[in-house]
Parts: sequence; C-alpha cells; structure tokens
Amino acid sequence: MATAPRWHRIHLAAGIAALAVALTGVVLADEDRGDAWSPVIYPLQRLPLVFSHAAHAKRGTACAACHPAATSSRSAVDDLLPTEAACRACHPIDRAQPDLVVPGAPPVACRACHPGFAPGAEVARVYLTPPPLKFDHSAHRGSLCERCHGDLRRVELATTRQLPTMATCLGCHRDGSDERHCADCHLAKLGGLIETRFEHGTLVPAHDGLGDAHGPGFQDHHAQEARQIGATCAACHDASECVACHQGVTKPLDFHPGNYLLTHAVDARRGKPDCSACHRAQSFCVGCHEREGLGTRSDSQFTSIDPDRAFHPPGWASPGPGPNLHARDARRSITSCASCHREDECLKCHSAQPGGLRASPHPAGWRGSARCRALDRGNRRMCLRCHIAQDELGCDWSAR
Amino acid sequence: MLRACLAAVVLAAVAAPAHAYEFWLRAQAIGQSYQLRQYRLIGPDLFLGRHRYTQTLALRIWDVGDLAAARREAHLPDRGLRISWQSYLRIDHDFGDYTGGRVLLPLAVPVRRDALDITPELGASVASLELLYGYLELAGLFDDRLTLRIGRVLADDGWGSTAIDGATARFEVPSAPVALSASAGFRVRASSPLGLAAYELDGTSGAACQEYVEGPTPGSGTWKLIDRNRMITDHHLASDFEYCPQRDVRQPSVGFTVATARIAGFGAELGYRRTWSDTVGRIGTVDRLMYPDLGLYPNDFGQAPGTGVDEERLWARAHGELRAWGASVAPYADLRYSLLHAAIDRADAGVRLSRGDHTLEPSLEYFYPTFDGDSIFNVFSIEPTTDLRLGYQLAGGVPVHASAWLRAYHHEAGAASYAGGGDAGIERGLGAAWRVRVDALWDDGYGGRRIGASAEAAWRPAPSLWLRGRAITLAVASDEDRRPRYVSSSSVVSSTWRVSDGVALHTILEIDRDAIHDLQVRAIGVFDLAFAPEP
Repeated sequence: MATAPRWHRIHLAAGIAALAVALTGVVLADEDRGDAWSPVIYPLQRLPLVFSHAAHAKRGTACAACHPAATSSRSAVDDLLPTEAACRACHPIDRAQPDLVVPGAPPVACRACHPGFAPGAEVARVYLTPPPLKFDHSAHRGSLCERCHGDLRRVELATTRQLPTMATCLGCHRDGSDERHCADCHLAKLGGLIETRFEHGTLVPAHDGLGDAHGPGFQDHHAQEARQIGATCAACHDASECVACHQGVTKPLDFHPGNYLLTHAVDARRGKPDCSACHRAQSFCVGCHEREGLGTRSDSQFTSIDPDRAFHPPGWASPGPGPNLHARDARRSITSCASCHREDECLKCHSAQPGGLRASPHPAGWRGSARCRALDRGNRRMCLRCHIAQDELGCDWSAR
Repeated sequence: MLRACLAAVVLAAVAAPAHAYEFWLRAQAIGQSYQLRQYRLIGPDLFLGRHRYTQTLALRIWDVGDLAAARREAHLPDRGLRISWQSYLRIDHDFGDYTGGRVLLPLAVPVRRDALDITPELGASVASLELLYGYLELAGLFDDRLTLRIGRVLADDGWGSTAIDGATARFEVPSAPVALSASAGFRVRASSPLGLAAYELDGTSGAACQEYVEGPTPGSGTWKLIDRNRMITDHHLASDFEYCPQRDVRQPSVGFTVATARIAGFGAELGYRRTWSDTVGRIGTVDRLMYPDLGLYPNDFGQAPGTGVDEERLWARAHGELRAWGASVAPYADLRYSLLHAAIDRADAGVRLSRGDHTLEPSLEYFYPTFDGDSIFNVFSIEPTTDLRLGYQLAGGVPVHASAWLRAYHHEAGAASYAGGGDAGIERGLGAAWRVRVDALWDDGYGGRRIGASAEAAWRPAPSLWLRGRAITLAVASDEDRRPRYVSSSSVVSSTWRVSDGVALHTILEIDRDAIHDLQVRAIGVFDLAFAPEP
C-alpha cells in the first residue's frame, strides 16, 4: 500500500482518540450498579413492612429466634420468614386492639409493622419468589449468618441485597467455579444442563467473577471467554450448540450478514475474522470456489487472459521475468491462496523436480534456518513434494 | 459414504438398551434453498441452485444406571460415579445443481464431466452421515477427581476444536490446585468412520493427490495425478477420480495439559499435542522391478520417512480477574508454539476493564499461518500479522458495542502493510413488543475497502411469535482503486414461531441485489424439536 505511513498515522490517531473516550467513560461510570444480584435468581420482592434488623440485632436477638426454620431448612423454596407467632414472643400483639400501646414493651400496634394498616381492610402481604436454586441452610448452620447475609445487622428491612451472590458462594466453595459443580446449586434440566429460562427472565452470566459475562455482541466475540481455563460454557450449553455453528452447514445470518457470499472476499483476503475458526480452506473453500468457476480446473474466469474477466490481474503468476504479483499476496495471506488452489497448482512452477520451474518460494536465509530444520525433521514428506534428488533434501543442500 | 453407513449399522447393532437414565434430545430439520453464481469464461454466468436438507440429532443420556439418583433426590450435590453419553449426529444431503450438475473441462477436446468428479470436495455435502462427537463419560471417580471420556471426543487448544477417536482423562490433584489432562486416539479425518473434513488440519486438499511416476532412470520421474480413469464407476455420491491414500491414513494423536484448578480469579494452562501419520506408498528399489512405478514417495536412498508429524504444538494460557472499587480488571494472555515450524503461530494478550455497565478491552493478537505437516503451504507461509484491537461495550437498557482494529502485515524486508477499521452498534427496546438495532461498519487497507450499515427491527406480536426485518447496505472497493467496485443491498425477513415448549419453527428469507448479481434469493426453514420427556 503506497500510502501506508500516512494511513498508519491516521489509524493510530483515531485509535488513541477512541481509547481516550472509552477510558473516560469507564472511569466516570457509576460503580457496580448491583447487577451481581441477578433479578432472575432473586426476582423483585414486595415487602410492605416496617422492620429494623439493626434494632433487633442491637438488642442481641439471635437470628434463629425469629428464623428458627433456617437451621433445619434443606430447600431454597422453604419459607423462612417469621410468622406473627414468632413476633408475639416479644411483641404482645392483640389483633382485637390494633392501636394498642404497651408501656415498656416493644411496639405492638399493627401499624408499627404494617404501614397503612386500616382496621377491616386487607393487610398488604409480603411476596417473595423463591430463588431457582438448590440450597441447604442446615448444612451451613455452623457458619455465621453475616458470612452470607452481609450487613444484615446494620440494615432496617432486609432485601435481596442481603442475600448471597454467586461470588459470596465462591468465596468458600472454590469448586463451585468448575462447570461440573454448577448444578450443585443451580436447577438442572433433564440431561444435566442448567435451567436458564424462567417465567421472570432468562439466566445469563453477569459480572460474577467467572469472566463469562454475556454482554452485547457476545455471540460474535466469545473466543476469549471460551478459551479460559475452567470456562463454564458446558454447564448451560450443549456442545452441539458450539459445533452446529463452528462446523455448521447453515450461514449464520448474524455473523455473516447480508450478501456475504459476494462480500466475504475482503474478509478472506485480509484474514479477519479468522475464517479457520469454522472453515477448512482446502475442503470448504476450495470445493465452493471450484464449483463456482473460480478454480482452475473448469471453464472459468480464473484462466481468462481478458483483464476485464480474469480473476487475477495480468502478470499475476507469469513464468519467467515479470511482476509475479502473486508472490506478495501469497506471503501476506497464504490462507486466501489455499482457499482456491490445491498444492499441485503451486508445484507446477515451484517444484524442483524434473519438469518444474524451480521457482523457489523460500525466504532469504531458509537454508540452515531453524524452521527448515524443524520441518525437515518433523515431516520430510512435505519436502519430497518438490525435492526428489537426495542432495537437495535436508537443510544443508547447496543446489539453490 | 459406504464406511459411514457400515459404521452406523455397527453402532446400532452393538448399542445395548439403557434402562435407568434421564435423557435430553434435540432434533433439527433444516431445509435450505439458494443460488450460487457460476462464473464462466465464455457466455453469461449461470446461477446454480443449491438445495440442501440437513437433519441433526443431539442426544444426552444422563446418569445411566441411576447411580446418582439417591443424592439428587436428597437435594445433595452430585458425587460418586455418574455415567453419561453425549453425541451429535448429522445427516446432510445436497441435491441441487451445485452438486448434481456437470462441468465442461477446458481440454484440447472439451469434455463434460460430473461436477463431483472435478471437485471431489463436494462429496462432503452431497450425502454425508457425520458424528461430530459421541462419547461415554465416567465422572466422579476417585472421590470426584477423575473424569474419563471414551469415544469421539472434542479436543480444544484454545484456537478451534477438533475431535479424536479415543479417550481423555482429567484428574484433579488432591494436594494441589492443579488438574492434569491427557488424551490419546486418532484424529478425526474425512476418511474416518462417520468423519468430516472440517476437523482435519488444513493444507492438504481432498483431491489432486499425486503419485511419483519413475522416469527412464531412477530419480528422473515426476509427480502426476493419480490416474483412476480405469476405475470410473459413475458413482453419484462420491468422486470417481479421487484417490489419495496419504489422506486416508490414520493420524494418531496424543495430548497433555497441566492446568490450575479451584483457584478463584486466576487460571493457567500448559499444553502439548502431537499428531503424526505413517507414510504410505514408499517406492523402494524392490518396487522398481514392477514397471511402471506407481507410488507416493520415492525412497531409493531411504529419503522418505516412515512417519511424518502433522502437528506438534505447545501452548500456554493464563487469565485472571481483580475486583476493586467497583471495577474489574481481567488480564489474559495466550500463546501457541509450533514445534513443527519452530515458530509461534498464535498469541494474544489483552485486558478487560469493567466498571458498572461499561467494558473496555484493548488487546494485541499475533497470527502466523501454519498447516498440516504434509502441506507445502507451510513453506509459502512467511509473513505474520499483528492486530491491535479495542473493544467497548455498554450493557443495560440500551446496549452499545463498538470496536476498532488495526492489522499490520509484516513483510520479509522489515516493512509492513496495514488494514484497519471499526464497527459500532446500538440496540434499544421500544415498549414490550419492539426492539430496534442499528449497526455500522467501515474498514480500509490491505484486502479492500468497505463501508456499510444495517438496520434491524424485531416485533413480538404474541408471546410465541417473533418477526424480524433487516436491511443491509455495503459498498466495496479494492485497496488499489478507490472507486467502489459495487454496492450490495440485502433484505432479510425472518420469523420464529414457538409452537410449544421445546418446539419451534424458524423461517428466513434473504434477498440480495448488487451490480454483479442481479438478484439472489436464499430461503431457510428450521424445524426445531427439543424434547425433554420425563424419565
């Protein structure tokens, strides 16, 4: 590219400007807005109550005094909220006297806990949706409640913010980050995959310390997440979902939008995105290109000498003196060559065997290079494709 | 194909019925019909109709023998031996002109032949039965520290997956946060039973395999296409000409990894894989007694090796995550070294910075194309590329994504060419039933220039029905000529009807128009069945 230095400077300046803008956005952003508490795991609650955990804790009330079932519960669907009977242990509630005040005793009036209480009217009820989790409270009774429920002793009404997040669990359960153990806590479907679809939403990984947050564009850019050690993809996704796309037979319209059959040449020549993540050049690409007349075997434009119809410009790969422009592209993007040409087409000129033109494709310093030695040591069959004479084999031959 | 059918029959015959298990199965029936341009040297170009039917079947049989039932019913985490089976089978048939047509060969006397004979690679879709994976898993052995998989297992080094017919084992060391893995078997090739070409190492084609034909004196011969004219059977499901013994030979493959385990916020792995194959068709002095000498590799002086390495790689991966002050910093680095090429062929490093809804990810990526050890493309692959990338995402009610990249092509002389560009998109919900999205793309430099945009609207008129429409325009020019070569416009309409829980019907219609192709149409229908019956 003739204007490479200027072009490079423009890109560099644009990149630095974009980086500065994005960094500013990240720095000025609000802190974690609390999406660690998934609304799918902990759906919205309705808590029409006045209650102070802090006041009760200050008086030394033990958690189990109000939540006795927590020490024996073995399921996340168990109702562990204290009933009125539990409150009566300290609060001499009298339903017949809703406005009763008992001097020296804790509040007993109905309105003290039920805001807006009106005698005769229906009392607004607490509504909690059980989390779609497996949880055994009894197995955790040896731990302090605050270890999972955080600042419970300092808040008034407890909300989802006092429930443990996944990061809380992983603080102790180190194995929990292994995908084999996801179903230890999460509900699993038949077949062992995690259930992710619920009436109140779809469970999607967020910022939970596992590095697999499914943000915008995740479908197109998930290589790094999938590559991570201990990636938990298989907990929710059957492997068929991966191979159906990566080894697929249908053009993914999100990833290859629009008229991609026509426009893909730009991507392929450039090598971005990495076509090899899904396609094998010497079967998938060669087969289609050959059939479409872009190969060299059939009646095609590949072999045309008419500059308006030829696939490559004149002088692309002419034997003997000439521009031989193909050498530049082959070095830059050999994969795009391999998407149309089979090896025998290259060997016509590059082979050193009788009949070949002995046009050496080797870079300067090839002879004796570490790469030559490694390839020769690893698989001499490749060398034999061009070099038959014994004195040309190996990396010390001097016939070149 | 015959081998595939035989293998299917054998599998069906030896499969014993399971009695106590849970299972999940997903079947997809996909029908596609679209047009492909056939460029011709003389006369107007043609359109080839491609009509394709694909049936897939994903199966999971879980907890064979109900070994984990007691703990599951007691709401306890799974422990102890669990046996499961997972597989994914695909039947693919292409019955349009694309595979069934004929082609004129530009010989001295032009000859018409089946396209399948000229392009054997088409055989992969004309009629195939493929097992993409299928293995028996024994988990929970040795106090839940050992997992074994036996069958066709997927193998992944971080840059694409393949499959091997063999076994893998993963063992977590009790006294250290380390897990050891090993795998051994035969790498899946197109010629494997129920195999597919997509798993093969790239570089060697499915056709054009050559044999060495000796000349008047030893060493004066040449390589020629293997002549199978005498063996033409006029088979309509496979090429009559393809004959490539070296590509049919088995490829033993072994791999080992050492990785961290049970460490929160950090992961690392060291891995090694080696795949090799025996040399077939060596021509020694004894073979020369039979004239003409037909074989693959001349070996008069013992120059043809008994075996050749197809891949030999070391890789290392590491990533971590630090969280402080409401932000997350997640650096990562990956590297792969090809011992066969004495070169690093893949590497990347980056960091993901997240705070609230914002995520920023600068990264570097290095790529050096390598191929199957049998491929001469290894010699032509000389210049690596380096990418500088920057990605940004905004989650929340109005998701936004943007990315920019710059790729340098390093030339042998020390100079470089460049390509770069960027894309961005924004999505927004409009009420409960509508969602709109706009994307834009621009790139320039080596390979070509493009600028384009797309707009998409999705409507959910009923809880079980999704309707989508998308319009895409893209202008393309070569990197050596600033004038646009063509402008392409596409319209896509699609729908998803969720018939019931686990049953859905998807339809897609794509219409493309541009200066090169008058009008092209692509239609896809997918009938998706995901059963999850009670055990």
